[in-house]
Amino acid sequence: MILLEPQNVIIQTTLADKLNKPSSLDVQFVDYDGVRFHLSTPEKKTQLLLSMHIRCWDELVQYGALEILGREYGSLLSSEAEPEYNVSLVIDLEQVPADSQAREEFIKSVALFKRHALAAPFELAFKTQKSLEAQGSAHGELMQIHYRDEEAIYVQAASDRVTVIFSTIFQEETDRIFGKVFLQEFVDARRQPSIQNAPQVLYSNRDPPLEIRSVAGLRNTDDVGYVTFVLFPRHFANPTVADSTISHIQLFRDYLHYHIKCSKAYMHSRMRHRVAEFQKVLNRAKTEVATGERKTVSGRTMVSR
Amino acid sequence: MSNVLRPYLAAVRSTLTAALTLENFSSQVVERHNKPEVEVQTSKEVLLNPLTISRNENERVLIEPSVNSVRVSIGIKQADEIERILCHKFTRFMTQRAENFVVLRRKPVSGYDISFLITNTHTETMLKHKIVDFIIQFMEEVDKEISEMKLSLNARARIVAESYLTAVSLSLNCPYI
Amino acid sequence: MAYLAPIISDNGTGYSKIGFAGNSDPSFVFPTAIATRGSASTSSRAPAVPSKPGHLASKRGVEDLDFFIGDEALANAKTPGYGVHYPIRHGQIDNWDHMERYWEQTIFKYLRAEPEDHYFLLTEPPLNAPENREQTAEIFFESFNIKGLYIAVQAVLALAASWSSNRVTDRTLTGTVIDSGDGVTHVIPCAEGYVIGSSIKHIPIAGRDISQFVLNLMRERGEMASVPPEDQLRVANKVKENYTYVCQDIVREFRKYDEEPYRYFERYEGEHSVTGRKYGVDVGYERFLAPEIFFNPEIYSSDFLTPLPEIVDDVIQQSPIDVRRGLYKNIVLSGGSTMFQHFGQRLKRDLKQLVDRRLDQSAILSGSSVKSSGVEVDVISHKRQRYAVWFGGSLLASLPEFYTSCHTKAQYDEIGPSICRRYQIFGSAT
Repeated sequence: MILLEPQNVIIQTTLADKLNKPSSLDVQFVDYDGVRFHLSTPEKKTQLLLSMHIRCWDELVQYGALEILGREYGSLLSSEAEPEYNVSLVIDLEQVPADSQAREEFIKSVALFKRHALAAPFELAFKTQKSLEAQGSAHGELMQIHYRDEEAIYVQAASDRVTVIFSTIFQEETDRIFGKVFLQEFVDARRQPSIQNAPQVLYSNRDPPLEIRSVAGLRNTDDVGYVTFVLFPRHFANPTVADSTISHIQLFRDYLHYHIKCSKAYMHSRMRHRVAEFQKVLNRAKTEVATGERKTVSGRTMVSR
Repeated sequence: MSNVLRPYLAAVRSTLTAALTLENFSSQVVERHNKPEVEVQTSKEVLLNPLTISRNENERVLIEPSVNSVRVSIGIKQADEIERILCHKFTRFMTQRAENFVVLRRKPVSGYDISFLITNTHTETMLKHKIVDFIIQFMEEVDKEISEMKLSLNARARIVAESYLTAVSLSLNCPYI
Repeated sequence: MAYLAPIISDNGTGYSKIGFAGNSDPSFVFPTAIATRGSASTSSRAPAVPSKPGHLASKRGVEDLDFFIGDEALANAKTPGYGVHYPIRHGQIDNWDHMERYWEQTIFKYLRAEPEDHYFLLTEPPLNAPENREQTAEIFFESFNIKGLYIAVQAVLALAASWSSNRVTDRTLTGTVIDSGDGVTHVIPCAEGYVIGSSIKHIPIAGRDISQFVLNLMRERGEMASVPPEDQLRVANKVKENYTYVCQDIVREFRKYDEEPYRYFERYEGEHSVTGRKYGVDVGYERFLAPEIFFNPEIYSSDFLTPLPEIVDDVIQQSPIDVRRGLYKNIVLSGGSTMFQHFGQRLKRDLKQLVDRRLDQSAILSGSSVKSSGVEVDVISHKRQRYAVWFGGSLLASLPEFYTSCHTKAQYDEIGPSICRRYQIFGSAT
């Protein structure tokens, strides 16, 4: 598995399961970026309530998350969210289309709940870019999404592009160094002819890029890095392309961290292999000492360690 | 093996072979104690002169002989940040398993990356020249392993970056999928 | 909520149970299997040999990401180029490379959690070597940078799970755990959260044997004639899961069945998995005979003949005398093969008889008129028996004191993996 999938597997499997056999349920689970879900059947077995908590919900609402969720889920969207959560969907299992393909589509769309919510600022930026291009003005508003405690996404539309900036913080030394190697490759990868169409990636350590230099409260320490993606209109020319771009961009941080961890796991298996080899070399040095089995009077075997 | 490395390893090998003339030696200070003298450092007269063989300021070997034990500490080449962290990880991984590597010291001597402590018990139960072989092979391979790990990290990073960017630009007219 | 829910991962030999604390059921239950590129040589312990540097342009270097776990692994078992491995053997981790990657995918693909944000509770079999704990800690703290880790013994978690039963009044971690899964059954005595290692006993009879026994019985009666051979074991499994129960007296039960067969015989309807042809079988005596092999093993096996109640009694008698009362009083069931109806009652009755007989005998032998006040024997069954270990973990990890019992990343960085050799038992003073 190289790429991460945008949909939530727990929602997907549970929903598919409950559609076959409704039963009462009360589970809590999470998704990337500290998103919490609560799936329950508060009233009856066929009525599922799916609630979501996102740290940056207020910001997302400001950028039109509710409209997007409304567009995706229509009447499913509950007018009042469950306490402690930001937004809820009410799914009536009896209303779900019976046709297997439509059902699949439905499950998939519910599993993309978090993705749709987080898509708001991006869609807004794409829209703003179109209108800016028509008007000929320079910059749109700088949107900030503080999706984690110390990290944020900044999205800004300009007349010919949309800039997405991730601030990243590596808490651990190894992660920081591995991360740097990875990010450097992101910058360099575009030289490959096959991916010239990809968004331009810039990476800066410590110094924030020009676009967000005015933002207050940026940390100025060595462990902070800024990754900038420059999306050109071709990356969101039509809805399908835009959707896939959003899905990938959203998961950038998780993707990066996933691979840092995979690399560490890979290093571990290399080291295990190498250490086993060294062990063999050292064992060759041991002389065979022929010790007969020693026994006590009662017949017990003595084992020397 | 590069030609520059060979004399370095040869020097380590002969020094180590010479130093591994150990005998059982009870403590002169505490009754009924028999400890590696190079570690306890209580009686000066049984300690021999430590010596350093160095190839450059990073790569060096410190050999501290004594009457019943030899301590070998190795400094491993670390060209940049990545090699430093990989080296640190590797040596830590190995010392974590020191139980199996009887001659490995659980903590490196300060200023070095990894240390071995060879006592008279080891030379009695193991073949001396094979122990030397082990140390030399370790020195040879650890450099190779670290640079290989670094290369594979870079290669991975590139593939990861490429697959991500390819996926983003996938829906565009991209000739490669 | 200051923390995101801790993740509970119970990796067993056969199945892994994974989910979030606070829930009553694990989010995922799938086989502890990993399908990797390369042959399925089960004995090979060498990892993918690091290939030579040089051809960086090709996709070399990420072969280790090309694998599947769980159900997907089994589904891909037949795909050319893949081989299935089982990284856990006899409850202990056998192949660390595979296990590390298994965990990697569980976290990132299935749970979709960022390990930095979560505490983890892992389980280990009784008598696990401290080195294994260290290696586990090394993986979780160094590869995944998790926030904090707690490694609990499975039997202790099973005891904690029994707190959910309304018959349990005092929350004690003293008791005997009977853990019966697919492969083997363990009887494990625990005293105040510590396993009494010297008196653990294993019984080579568990779920798989019961299915086989059901199959044998039905074949002998000729019921299986209408069932296609490849489906027979599956049918036997279904019969075992849906129709069986533990009876109190075999002879009476046989008579009951013979007098009123229509009332007691059940019918199982199946469908051929490939052709869709329908078939049906009668389910008869196997309904009560199947679980009977725990109590009368001679009906199934010829080399293992000690009934379960006797084993439990032995285990408790071998334990220190001051905890025996506690062990008799709190016998806890865990695992899928203890789910038979009335299993607990039967075990309790048989065990009680054994204990009472011994007391009577000692009273006669001593010849004194002083009589023992008797020993209380109780077997606790509860609703969460199937995933009792996981559920116990979920229960403990949702207590506030869980966080203080964990070892955190900072502590690990300071002290090193050896910190995980010892864990504080819940509810005990340091």
